Amino acid sequence: MKIKSLLIANRGEIAIRIVKSAKKLGIKTYGIKTAKEPNALYLSHVDHIIDFTESAEEIPEFLDVERIIEATKSNQIDAIHPGYGFLAESPYFAKRCEEEKINFIGPSASVIYKMGNKTIAKQIANKHNVPLLKGSLGSVKDAKEAIEIANSIGYPVILKAAAGGGGRGMRIVEKESHMEKMFKMATSEAEKAFNDPTVFIEKYVRNPRHIEFQIISDKHGNFIHLGERECSVQRKHQKLLEESPSVALNDSLRKEMGEAALSIAKAVDYYSAGTVEFLLDADKNFFFMEMNTRIQVEHPVTEMVTGLDLIELQIRIAQNEPLPLQQSDVKLKGWAIECRINAEDVQAGFSPNLGMIDKIMYPKSKNIRIDSGVKESSVITPYYDSMIAKLIVFGDNREKAIQNSINALNKFWIKGIKTTIPFCKAVLTHKKFKKGDFNTSFIEKEMVNLHFEGEEDEMLAAYLATFDFAAELETERTTYVDFEQGKKMSPWVLNKRLKSL
Amino acid sequence: MKLSSKKSKKEDHEYIAVNSNNNKFKIRNPFSEEVKVNSKKVDIKIFENENGFTYLVFKKKKYLAEIVEKNQNRYTVLLNGVSYSFSIETPISYKRKKYLDKQKSNSKTEILSAPMPGKIIDVLVEENSLVKEGEPILILEAMKMQNEIGSPVSGKIKKVLIKKNDAVLKDDLLIEIEK
Amino acid sequence: MDINGKLYKTFLDRKQQYELQHGEIAEKKQHSKGKLTARERIELLFDPDTFEEIDAYSITSKTGSEFGKVVDAFGDGVIIGHGKISGRLAFTYSQDFTVMGGSLGSVHAKKISKIQDMALKMGAPMIGIIDSGGARIQEGVASLAGYAGIFHRNVKSSGVIPQLSVIMGPAAGGAVYSPSLTDFVFMTNKTSYMFVTGPNVVKEVLNEDVTSEDLGGAQVHMKKSGIAQFVYEDEENTFFGVKKLLSYIPSNNLENPPIVDCCDKNDKEEPKLRDIVPDDANKPYDVKEVINLIVDKGTFFEIAENFAQNIVVGFARLRGKTLGIIANQPKVLAGCLDIDSSVKGARFIRFCDSFNIPLLTLEDVPGFLPGMDQEHNGIIRHGAKLLYAYSDATVPKITVILRKSYGGAYCVMNSKNLGGDFNFAWPTAEIAVMGPEGAVSILYKNELANSKDPDKLKKELAVKYREEIANPYVADEKGYIDEVIDPAITRKKLIIAFEALENKHLNVPSRKHGNIPL
Repeated sequence: MKIKSLLIANRGEIAIRIVKSAKKLGIKTYGIKTAKEPNALYLSHVDHIIDFTESAEEIPEFLDVERIIEATKSNQIDAIHPGYGFLAESPYFAKRCEEEKINFIGPSASVIYKMGNKTIAKQIANKHNVPLLKGSLGSVKDAKEAIEIANSIGYPVILKAAAGGGGRGMRIVEKESHMEKMFKMATSEAEKAFNDPTVFIEKYVRNPRHIEFQIISDKHGNFIHLGERECSVQRKHQKLLEESPSVALNDSLRKEMGEAALSIAKAVDYYSAGTVEFLLDADKNFFFMEMNTRIQVEHPVTEMVTGLDLIELQIRIAQNEPLPLQQSDVKLKGWAIECRINAEDVQAGFSPNLGMIDKIMYPKSKNIRIDSGVKESSVITPYYDSMIAKLIVFGDNREKAIQNSINALNKFWIKGIKTTIPFCKAVLTHKKFKKGDFNTSFIEKEMVNLHFEGEEDEMLAAYLATFDFAAELETERTTYVDFEQGKKMSPWVLNKRLKSL
Repeated sequence: MKLSSKKSKKEDHEYIAVNSNNNKFKIRNPFSEEVKVNSKKVDIKIFENENGFTYLVFKKKKYLAEIVEKNQNRYTVLLNGVSYSFSIETPISYKRKKYLDKQKSNSKTEILSAPMPGKIIDVLVEENSLVKEGEPILILEAMKMQNEIGSPVSGKIKKVLIKKNDAVLKDDLLIEIEK
Repeated sequence: MDINGKLYKTFLDRKQQYELQHGEIAEKKQHSKGKLTARERIELLFDPDTFEEIDAYSITSKTGSEFGKVVDAFGDGVIIGHGKISGRLAFTYSQDFTVMGGSLGSVHAKKISKIQDMALKMGAPMIGIIDSGGARIQEGVASLAGYAGIFHRNVKSSGVIPQLSVIMGPAAGGAVYSPSLTDFVFMTNKTSYMFVTGPNVVKEVLNEDVTSEDLGGAQVHMKKSGIAQFVYEDEENTFFGVKKLLSYIPSNNLENPPIVDCCDKNDKEEPKLRDIVPDDANKPYDVKEVINLIVDKGTFFEIAENFAQNIVVGFARLRGKTLGIIANQPKVLAGCLDIDSSVKGARFIRFCDSFNIPLLTLEDVPGFLPGMDQEHNGIIRHGAKLLYAYSDATVPKITVILRKSYGGAYCVMNSKNLGGDFNFAWPTAEIAVMGPEGAVSILYKNELANSKDPDKLKKELAVKYREEIANPYVADEKGYIDEVIDPAITRKKLIIAFEALENKHLNVPSRKHGNIPL
């Protein structure tokens, strides 16, 4: 069962991250080259490149199940790591791997299916006494039923697409008279977005925190959790900055939530790394949201406070090895913060900032880890998400982690594109964030300035522009244009020129 | 006949950087040791490091800086990742600018029409979003090539008349922009 | 002469009156409109203390004075003279809007003609600064005749000395034809207009309400009509532009362009050039990046950058020597040639050829823009202009094919058999009668019709076509391309090639002139 070769069915920083762990285990890595970014950085990290550039298919490369399976088999590769996004949570892909005897690094196809369907997942959680938001527990067939349920649990409620995610097919209903209209909108949006009109209903929590637990388990029935991550800094359901641990938890709540997370994992015989997401309300009541059956973007903060390598553990588990540690071995030490550096223009409503990275320079320190998918002259294309790097910074405590992060961001230099660095700085310097007093509505309600701006920054910018303008005029003025030289020419030319007039 | 010049040969060079909110920075003698911004002496140094980054040093702090756009006297500078736009005026042109700003014609709608027949691959803006002149607002495929269509003016998107995958003919109306 | 005598006093009085006329009142009038005075403009254009005015004291003709007010002012609303711009002799006229709206009377016209004649005699650049209401109505036919005389001199000087027009106020009616006959037109944004018939006439005849700005403002002529090659935000910057342009061009058609000595001496490899052209033939890129990496740093000076943007033209320096650059722009309309871009390119080539400026063509052109609109408006005739201009030009001509070079557009863009002196290609070049997709649809029409999966077959055939036919090597082997070069050494190659062509001369058949398809 030892894995000798591994296909990474992903790109960007996560592909490189996976290579690092695979190398440590002596595994040969394969990467997929696409026509969309044939010079991407991750390709220079893998041992072998599988060329998908001559694409005759309409399906995007990293979603093309059969082509990936075909490439794995023809190159006699043992295993596939799907990273996050793309096929990471596709039960179909995991099943195809199982059928073709390819070691899929992640949980089994049936678990991915169960957890991917929010209604099924909730039923499982309910059965195992994990706190849930009151609601329908299953699909709601019409607005009438929705009103009945809403009356029993109290308004406000939220309608959600069973197959959904990313905010689509969601509607908050404040009172009964709105229900009919909202129900229609939610179902039709769900139908359009996910080809499945099923919606469920649950109690809507205002301004909750988003807390998630990292769990990991092997194929021998060992289950542990690695503490929580605080992911409340979100914009339109996109996480932008995460930390571990969370100021909102104390040891007993951590223990309680960790056990709840594990009971869900146990209920489905989970193996590999996974994340259980909870909402935490102002009174410290927590509610199960969903389980992600993959490695998460923000996994490094957990790695930093636990000292573990999650990808390595994922691979070892896939090789049938038992977990090398027990719950009592897990100690959270210090504080870690992750800033997502996206190629986005914060001043233009976080719109993607495409283009070429002219120069890039990273901060260096033993407290800093950078997971980057780009290098100098990398091109930011519209084909993939805009995240280009993650800056993960450690501190002995939260205060120090914040200060170290700000220092690191000040030294994270990029030329050529705009990034979310000024946004991250704005969060980290915000009074309420520093106090730990924030929730998922933080960006919307608390942040007046979405980018950090020093008092004299604009003056400095004005000076640079003026300096350049004046310098150019000066150059024009002092450039010696030698008009006399234009009159000197060989007699041959002058003679011919005169004659041809 | 000699034109007698009336300009006094002052040694001082004064420039005025005006931002989009009409805030001004009066900058005197940007090259000299005696730089003054809004009549206050400042000590700013510009450096370029071996990696090709330009940065300013002011009050012992480093500021990453980059001129990202430059069109005649209009500049956009990225300082610590944040963009700032200015027009750099001389005392003469500033007077003119003030005069013209007063004359500003009432806001008008600019209509972007298709420069060629093709298919809309993507619309990069939404109604009510703000765009700058030249900022790409949609991608039109024609001749099997994807063409970025930039905004003809700076303003606010008033109406988007097309959607993704629409086929358009030359001169079809695409987007209305309020100047 | 007695310095206290009557003679000297008259001399001084005149002078004083002249100063008064150009004094504060005139300044106030112009400044209040965001404009500068005729005299301030001259000061901005010429090197300090070098301008010499001629005919400062000419008097307005009294013809027809019973119809309109005739102002008693010296100079008849125009300053003419000569001076040095960056140390070189140049001639100018600058219309004075404060005197009868800068209208063109017979004396005014005679003065302009006089300075035009001088510029032509001396073989020096002529710069017209225009701020005028048009023909002076009360002088009638005399002022019309004046315009005709100016036009005639514009035409006579064309191709002999560079002529520049700087529009800094209105230019209406006949007045517009002088600028349009000159080589380059500058306008100042928001305070200059050009139209044959003004908004009032449009309203009367067509009952359309239109502002001067929308009818013939700088933006219109920069983006839509292409009449104005340069538009600047204010008058000061406009003159910086004029001076910059002049630094690239010679004084007359016998001289070579000036040389800048302190230039970029570097001819090192530029590996970035290898990355600019994307592997995917359908992806756009900005050809200006290529230009800037080839020519001396910061010397590319684009002309008409907002008009017919699918072709980029402009001056640049290579090792300090002026070049005219014509480049297809894949970023706009995929770099296709259409009516506007053909005319824009052709006119630029004619200018360069007249003034001994060598031409560099950077080619990436999928063909002519198809469609009713283009065909009905005469792309055949207009495309022929570009072809004619290239073919007729006798200056050194070099082409570098960056990527696509298909069909008729291949021929037009300075191909070998059209008279290209050196024709280089990058390895990314695709030279063929048409693009792969189009070609295989014709060549394999039956096979495709009978195939079960025609899309797949078509794609396969296209790949094969690209490999076997649409590459630079076939052309290289047949001598239509002199050499396929590594993009990184393009600059070095061009320096050597242009040096080899420095003494190029071509005998042309004796004829009055060719018949360009106008």
